[in-house]
Amino acid sequence: MGPTVSRRAVFGGSLALPFLGRSGFAAAPIPLGAINPLTGAGGAYGPSMAKVAQALTARINSTGGVLGRSIALDIEDDQTNPTVAVEAAHKLIDVNKVVAIVGTWASSVTTAVAPLCWQSHTMLFCTSGADSITKLPHHGYIIRTQPNTYLQSGRAAQFLLQHGARSVFGLSAQTPFAVDSWNRLAAVLKTGGASGAGDIIYDPKQISFRSEIGKALAAKPDTLFLNSYAPDLEILLRETYQAGFSGNRFTFAYAATDAVLQALPASVTNGLWSFAPSPDVASPAYRAVQAILGINDPDPYSCQIYDHVSLVVLAIARAGAASGVAIHDNVRKISQGTGEKVSDPVAGLKLLAAGKEINYEGASGPCDFTPSGDIVSCKFLFQVAENKHNKTLFIS
Amino acid sequence: MSFLQALVNGALAGAVLALPALGFNTVYAVLRFPNFAIASIATAGAYAGWIANVLWGWPAPPALLVAFVAAGAVGATTDALALRPLRLRGPLTAAIGSVALDLLLQNALRFGFGNDPRGYDLPVFRDWRLAGISIGPQEVEDAGLAFITMTALFLLLRFTRIGKTMRAVADNASLAESKGIDPARVAWIANGVGFGLAGIGGTLVALDTSLDPLTGFRVLLSIFAAAVVGGLGSIPGAIAGAFMIGIGEELSTLALAPTYRTAIGFLAILVVLSFRPRGLLGERAY
Repeated sequence: MGPTVSRRAVFGGSLALPFLGRSGFAAAPIPLGAINPLTGAGGAYGPSMAKVAQALTARINSTGGVLGRSIALDIEDDQTNPTVAVEAAHKLIDVNKVVAIVGTWASSVTTAVAPLCWQSHTMLFCTSGADSITKLPHHGYIIRTQPNTYLQSGRAAQFLLQHGARSVFGLSAQTPFAVDSWNRLAAVLKTGGASGAGDIIYDPKQISFRSEIGKALAAKPDTLFLNSYAPDLEILLRETYQAGFSGNRFTFAYAATDAVLQALPASVTNGLWSFAPSPDVASPAYRAVQAILGINDPDPYSCQIYDHVSLVVLAIARAGAASGVAIHDNVRKISQGTGEKVSDPVAGLKLLAAGKEINYEGASGPCDFTPSGDIVSCKFLFQVAENKHNKTLFIS
Repeated sequence: MSFLQALVNGALAGAVLALPALGFNTVYAVLRFPNFAIASIATAGAYAGWIANVLWGWPAPPALLVAFVAAGAVGATTDALALRPLRLRGPLTAAIGSVALDLLLQNALRFGFGNDPRGYDLPVFRDWRLAGISIGPQEVEDAGLAFITMTALFLLLRFTRIGKTMRAVADNASLAESKGIDPARVAWIANGVGFGLAGIGGTLVALDTSLDPLTGFRVLLSIFAAAVVGGLGSIPGAIAGAFMIGIGEELSTLALAPTYRTAIGFLAILVVLSFRPRGLLGERAY
């Protein structure tokens, strides 16, 4: 995982930003909220997401802010827990009066927070994958930089078909995207001549999955699709190995973390395939995220939150007003179309100030959005576990 | 999956669950309030075991001893510092305080060790196949270590002076005090032993699964259900309850989707509190 940021630093930085802004700007800061999984199942990603949002906000403020105002970023920890996230969203919307919330990660969190956002005309930028999120009646107040389940599972099924899978069994943690994910995967497998041998949705808070694994292996699959988070993936890998399964295993990269691979013997994890939406590694914005985190391979979610903050400030600048409605009405005007391509939000602000149109292309990809808020396309990274580390197979 | 396989899986899970349930009831028997901080104290024990196993290179049995000592020390110390004053205001206040203490300890562990799951430096073996039944060698070893620990607890309570004073306070605290038994000292011992058992239980859970700050929290409902079903404060009841919950959860998967497995714990608590509020074996400690 990337470098960590302490809660104290996040808290202190969040408190300090409004005062820094007041010292150098004539008008009051523009309040921006971030709800990140600093702890809980998504805790491997939240700290680096928060660090990127902080660093980019600080850079924008140091170069003059937006509309002559600084950005006051308030970061809240959702503990990867929708109940905690709702409390955080209430605080950000009702107390801080934020114009947008960026960086919700878990689908359950985004689903819980979304109604509060569209009811208050607060824009919500998320990295969650569940299809159901953009099907909510959000009236355009949700933008998602993560490919939806349909896009992801379809690409996963193509990978499995290319690698000879003929009978796939799904073991999925109980999440809002579990059913959609499996249905899409099974549908694409079927068109390729393979089959979904069955699926089980499990409660990830268990200490053993032996019964679920017993049922799965009874179907004699050649591949297991492990739709898990990191803690339950570790148990599933251990127990499928113990149960004698020697076929292929495929999961999401956010579950197959280095920590999971380090926690188990290589004999248990070797050969585990994982995939993730890939950032645009050729983008200058991607290099900016690398520089902020001081690592070569920042995770996709840190890249996405970089784009969230960029989209927010550029939409505000394009609108000439700082509000959720202004962002709602202008986010597609600065992210797609025939304007000048730009990957640096500060450069984009200068072009907008000069009266030019822009097309932001960010660290996570082209940032072109459908009317429902989904991204149109992105690349995917496929990797395989070898000797306790993930090795890149290809990006496609 | 066969009925017999579910039975075996449940029995092995129950054996591991029995230790933290025993710890929970040991503390309850003497101090008369449910200490929910046992979840994070079990996790703290598991981290101590991890340090012994991974950083010091010790095998599992001595690592379990380290877990016992560390969890016992954390449990007894935090009780003395945070919960003893609350006990004077009644068991409900102390129970609520223990929830807050649990969250505090959980975040302290997160601060110290991070969120990433960790594993012990132990080999993972393929299951044995016996007459069509799969049995994991690690699970059998865990169950054996749990059985040895339970036996040691029974010997302690049955034959030692410390055990007798604990039983005396559990049976009638006022009478025990009138006979010269210091209740504060017994509270220290009960917390040390009870939370030490939880620490071993937490380590065994982590050996089977993964170690992160929520390891103990994941089994808290099952621990509480086992304690209530067997009888709050009852030592044999904790063991009986743990096996009933472990086996019940596994057998439920034969008829229900696995997603509903954890509902068995809730159901067991509701049924027992409705029809036999003192639990299957009553409140008698031993």
